[in-house]
Formats: sequence, structure tokens, C-alpha cells
Amino acid sequence: MVLNEHTPVQTQPTGTDTGAAAPLDFTTFMRSYQDMVFTTAARVSGSDSQAQDIAQEVFVRAFEHFADLSGSATAGGWLKTVATNLAINHVNRYRKRWRMFSEMHAADGDESAAEIEWEAPDRLLSDLSAEQRGAIVEAALRRLPDQQRLPLVLYHFEELSYQEIAAKLGVSLTKVKTDIRRGRAALLPALQAAHARETLES
Amino acid sequence: MNEARDMQAKQKQADEKLEQLITGALAGLPLRRAPDALERRVLAELAQRAALPWWRRHFAQWPMAARTGFVALCVLLAGLSVTSGLTHLASQGWAWARPVVGVMAAFGGVTSWALSLVPPLYFYIGLGLGGLLYLLLFGIGAFAYRTLYLPSSNTAMVSS
Repeated sequence: MVLNEHTPVQTQPTGTDTGAAAPLDFTTFMRSYQDMVFTTAARVSGSDSQAQDIAQEVFVRAFEHFADLSGSATAGGWLKTVATNLAINHVNRYRKRWRMFSEMHAADGDESAAEIEWEAPDRLLSDLSAEQRGAIVEAALRRLPDQQRLPLVLYHFEELSYQEIAAKLGVSLTKVKTDIRRGRAALLPALQAAHARETLES
Repeated sequence: MNEARDMQAKQKQADEKLEQLITGALAGLPLRRAPDALERRVLAELAQRAALPWWRRHFAQWPMAARTGFVALCVLLAGLSVTSGLTHLASQGWAWARPVVGVMAAFGGVTSWALSLVPPLYFYIGLGLGGLLYLLLFGIGAFAYRTLYLPSSNTAMVSS
């Protein structure tokens, strides 16, 4: 299943239309990928200030491997993977505290606990521009608890499978599925409410 | 039984619909703009790291001579500590330390005997030849990488 229609990895410089040339130096290289790295880190960590720290660390590491990355077609993928892993590590430092409690509530195989009541609209945010949609979704994602936002972002934006997410987060497959379902169910009313506000204002 | 099955089917259908809705809402979102301060922060961090003296950097970034010297010193110190420690224990009457000291001494004796069998000139010639072959192999690899791999990956980068 194709989750996202857009290219998951930014391969062209942002804000310029001269993206045909390969990056010449590290600053050009950084400008080419900083939006993608920052967006990935912000979505996974759920915090802009943490995302800045993570993005900084990603580019410092990229500088150490710049000889290999500067001419590589897979540089975007490398940066995205490092940004995702660093952001997960960042969240994990705080996650240990809540994991014990969330595992208590959604023990392995406890599918019944995950039943969700919600009213299905036919379409969601489809009448908004990509920018408006982006602002609403990013804000709603930030408000989700870590244990729901993390697997949701890894599934929908990073296009990882349930198994890969479970391995990355060190939790069971059932928990990943349950958290993603709960995340979606929590995201839906938040998106609907934000959409209603947006429509009223405009 | 049937009720439970119906409930399950309904739940599955609802989940699929929810997934479809959220996937649609999250698809094709534009990237967020990185803060202007990010570039300055990265460059400042790189400058700060570059200004550090070599002994305060990561071990992998130390000069080769310093790394070799450090490893040799560590091996020497570790060897001295273990040997002197065991010798001390053996002299204090710790019976179990004696065979260990004996084995280590035998190992040292065998190594020095093996080294004494190698004529020094042949040893150094062999060592030099090995180094030369290693450099040759490295050079061929680097040449092949630059001529065969780099042009194609640059083309892929430009066309992507």
C-alpha cells in the first residue's frame, strides 16, 4: 500500500529552483536537506526545540561523513534514517517512564482494550490546501502522547512496517498496532475540530 | 457467537475506514521550514569542534602515530600490570597464580623464540612488501571507486 504520494526524501534544495546541480559544499548540502531533517525530527520528537538539537546533531554527523555523502544519491535517505533514529533515542530517554504504565493498560494481546468508538466522516481536510492541512496535522500530532505519535509518524510518514516499528521502539507488535489505532482515533477528532475552526475563520 | 463475529467485522471495517481517512489527511504534506538559526548553530558547533586540540577529539580522529602509541602503551601497561600482579601473588603464596605465571612466561618464551628464528632483513622486507601491497590494493580500490562508481552516483543525484 502506498501511504504517501509525495517522495519521502527531500532530494532537491529548498527555496531555489537551481536544484539540478549536486551540492558543492557543506553549507549548500545542509541547505538542501535541512527542511527534511528538521521536519522528520519535529514529527518524531513532537517538539521544535528538540528537533533543532536533533537536526544539529544529524548535520554534525553528516559533516564527519561528508566525503561519502556529498556525491551520493542516497544522502537524503542516510540523513532521514539518522534523524529518525536520533529523534527516537531522544524520545526514549523520557519514554521509559511512561512505557511501564502504558504496557500495564495495553498488555500484549489485549485487543479488546483497543476498541474505538468514532463517527466516520466521508472525507477529512480534503478541501484545504496542503499548507493549511500541514499546519493542522502538525499541531494535532504535537498534542498526541508520545506512545501514540511515535508509531503513527513512523508508519505514516517514515513508511515503516508494523514489524520495523516494533523493533525500533522495542515493544510488541500488538502494542504497535493498538497504539497506531488509538493514535488515529485521537487524531481524527482533533483534525475535525481544527478543520471546523479553520472553516469558520475563513 | 454470531454477534461477536459481527462486532469484529464492524470493528475491522471501522479501522480500515479510519486508516484510509488518516492516510489521506497525512499524505502529501509539505515539509516544514527549518529555523534560520539551525544553519548558524551547526556551523558554530563544527567550528567549535574543529578548534579542539587533537587529544580532546574522538579517538578515531587522533593522528595515526598518537593512536598507535596509545594502543602500544595500553598493551604494555596491561601486560606489566598482569605480570607484576601475578608474580606478586605467586610470591605471596597464592598457589593458583603460579601456573598462570608459568603459562604466560612460556608464551613469552615461545614468542621471542619464534621472532629470533626470523632473519631481521627478511622480516623487514616482508613487512615492507605487505605494506606496499596493501597500499596498492587501496589505490586500486580508490581509483575504481572514483572512475566507476562516483560518475554514475553523481548522475543519479542530478537526475533525482
